[in-house]
Amino acid sequence: MTHLHIKDLQAGYGKKLILNNINLEVRQGEMIALLGPSGCGKTTLLNALCGFIPLSHGEILSDKRVISQLPAEQRNITMVFQSYALWPHMTVEQNVAYGLKVKKVKRADIETRVAELLNVVKLAGLEAEKVTALSGGQRQRVALARALAIRPDVLVLDEPLSNLDAKVRLSVRHEIKALQKKLGFTSLIVTHDQEEALVMADRIAVLNKGQIEQIGTPEEIYHHPSTAFVADFMGADNHIVWPIQDPGFSLNINLPPDDLSIYFRSENVSISLQATINNELNQQQNEGLIINGTVEQSVFFGNSYRISVRSGKHIIQAEHYKHLPGKTPVTLHILPEALHIYAADVKSSVLEKN
Amino acid sequence: MIATQKQYYFSGISIYSVRFSFWLQSLFILLLALAMFGPIVNLLIWTVTESWYFPNSLPSQWGVKYWLQVFNPYSDVSGSLLTSLLIAILTVVVCLLVSVPAGYALSKNSMPFRVFWMLLFLIPQAFPNLTVYMNIARLFYDFGLNGTLLGVVLVHSVHGLMFSIWISVAAFSSTDPMLERASRNLGAGPIYTFFHIVLPQAAPGLVASCIFVFLESLDEFTGTFFVGSPNINTLPLLLYTASMEGNYQIASITALILLAPSILFMVIIHKFMKPEMLSKLGK
Ligand SMILES: Nc1ncnc2c1ncn2[C@@H]1O[C@H](COP(=O)(O)OP(=O)(O)O)[C@@H](O)[C@H]1O
Ligand SMILES: [Mg+2]
Repeated sequence: MTHLHIKDLQAGYGKKLILNNINLEVRQGEMIALLGPSGCGKTTLLNALCGFIPLSHGEILSDKRVISQLPAEQRNITMVFQSYALWPHMTVEQNVAYGLKVKKVKRADIETRVAELLNVVKLAGLEAEKVTALSGGQRQRVALARALAIRPDVLVLDEPLSNLDAKVRLSVRHEIKALQKKLGFTSLIVTHDQEEALVMADRIAVLNKGQIEQIGTPEEIYHHPSTAFVADFMGADNHIVWPIQDPGFSLNINLPPDDLSIYFRSENVSISLQATINNELNQQQNEGLIINGTVEQSVFFGNSYRISVRSGKHIIQAEHYKHLPGKTPVTLHILPEALHIYAADVKSSVLEKN
Repeated sequence: MIATQKQYYFSGISIYSVRFSFWLQSLFILLLALAMFGPIVNLLIWTVTESWYFPNSLPSQWGVKYWLQVFNPYSDVSGSLLTSLLIAILTVVVCLLVSVPAGYALSKNSMPFRVFWMLLFLIPQAFPNLTVYMNIARLFYDFGLNGTLLGVVLVHSVHGLMFSIWISVAAFSSTDPMLERASRNLGAGPIYTFFHIVLPQAAPGLVASCIFVFLESLDEFTGTFFVGSPNINTLPLLLYTASMEGNYQIASITALILLAPSILFMVIIHKFMKPEMLSKLGK
């Protein structure tokens, strides 16, 4: 079990710089999710960690030992590749045993270790199968067993679930998490799915255009996104730019009179049917953002209805327990702690956090 | 009434034209078959002929006398068959030794002047064979390679390398670089990775290139003639001398022996070649 420390990392392909100023610590036995949109450099970061591409600046430490100068085969950071990269000319057993054979582990020990791992990933009985004969979920587990066989210091997984069907994905997600808890390996998991990151990781690092925007626990990232990008990426589906010269909007919050960029989730919007702004609400309820408008559309979402509310030129998304007919006048109320507010021009700086 | 007459008239024409075109097509196909298979049939007949004189359309005496003569262990044919096989095998070894490392290096896009190197191996084929071989013979003369087995093997290799380099570049390009990474990732060095991961992936293509080189070497005439003769006598040279001397039986049997590996090759190619390999050539 190892403490991985990435310091001021800068890397790319040839002259094309992809990653810049990456600082990240993965503590012993911790699972960190690298979350970000497609093309933001997640795979590139793993490639730099594993030694497939050189760093142009910075260093990587594994338990205080600098490993960024070592060739790939000496780093002891194993990877579960997005494409799995299993060797088609070998059986399941040969794939899993490969790393041990390279290390010249005794034959009997290899056999016990491989059997043990195939048990853990529930592939016992398929030892002699060619990997080309396996299903996607099975291949994924072979790749996992192969990477774990040599007891790596750090395990990195590149979108391990993206090639699986939705149903298998949910179960494998929990299997990987359980395995990680049980064996306690230090790991980095790459994903572009925010839900996956929230469920699996101890901490999440959100990546955008080759830079880390925020590192924090799933709760911190979800409730206190430190930049507009993170708020947007973590599913804050409403976005308005303050001030709005529209009588339907009122914002009661202590803020400097700058231009503001405000994000909030539809699930945090409460809907009331009467136009009750200003008068009947008590002071406490009056805080936050209040919007008067009319229902534009109401769509069934299973556990709730998604209501689109029009106010002036703006459309606000809200969730409600029942269907509302079009043109219904409503008042929307968002509490201050549910508002993620950033300076409008400098998108990344936080002005107010509750 | 007029209508039926017209119909009859038209159908008469069409029956007539169908018949005509049927016979025309048959005749055409027959001629084509004769053109293609006539020489082969003639060759096959010659192999079991003991005597055949000019005006007769078929041999006057059939028999396998010449087969026995050919397969007599002390005959010219057995000797040159062995020489041919030895040269072909050595040529394959030389081509493999060059084309495996070169093919691997050239399959990497990072290799500088990649296209230049690949075209380099085509250049000898761009000139007329005869001039190239005559010049090689002159060069080899200076090095004392003329009339030696090594000289012939080298000449065959120059020719064989064209195929083997291009095919092995294709074979190595079609391997997945991620498989290499996975191996390095699990602690294997570049050499271990090459032999355990890369080579097995490229093996089918390499086998195909070996067979190609082997067959080309077996069939090669011009280079052997200029560099090897009269000391080195391969099957094609024997075939040539036999035909020149009018010994059609020996020539035909030799040709048949040379045919056997080509057929074997077709079968193996079918089993091993992956179409996606060829598609990678252009990348
Ligand atoms: N081998 C490569 N050569 C050059 N550019 C690359 C290469 N691989 C990826 N890139 C570029 O690097 C950027 C980040 O890619 P990647 O790390 O694969 O993104 P992600 O894994 O987050 O989807 C992309 O813009 C991509 O075009
Ligand atoms: Mg990726």
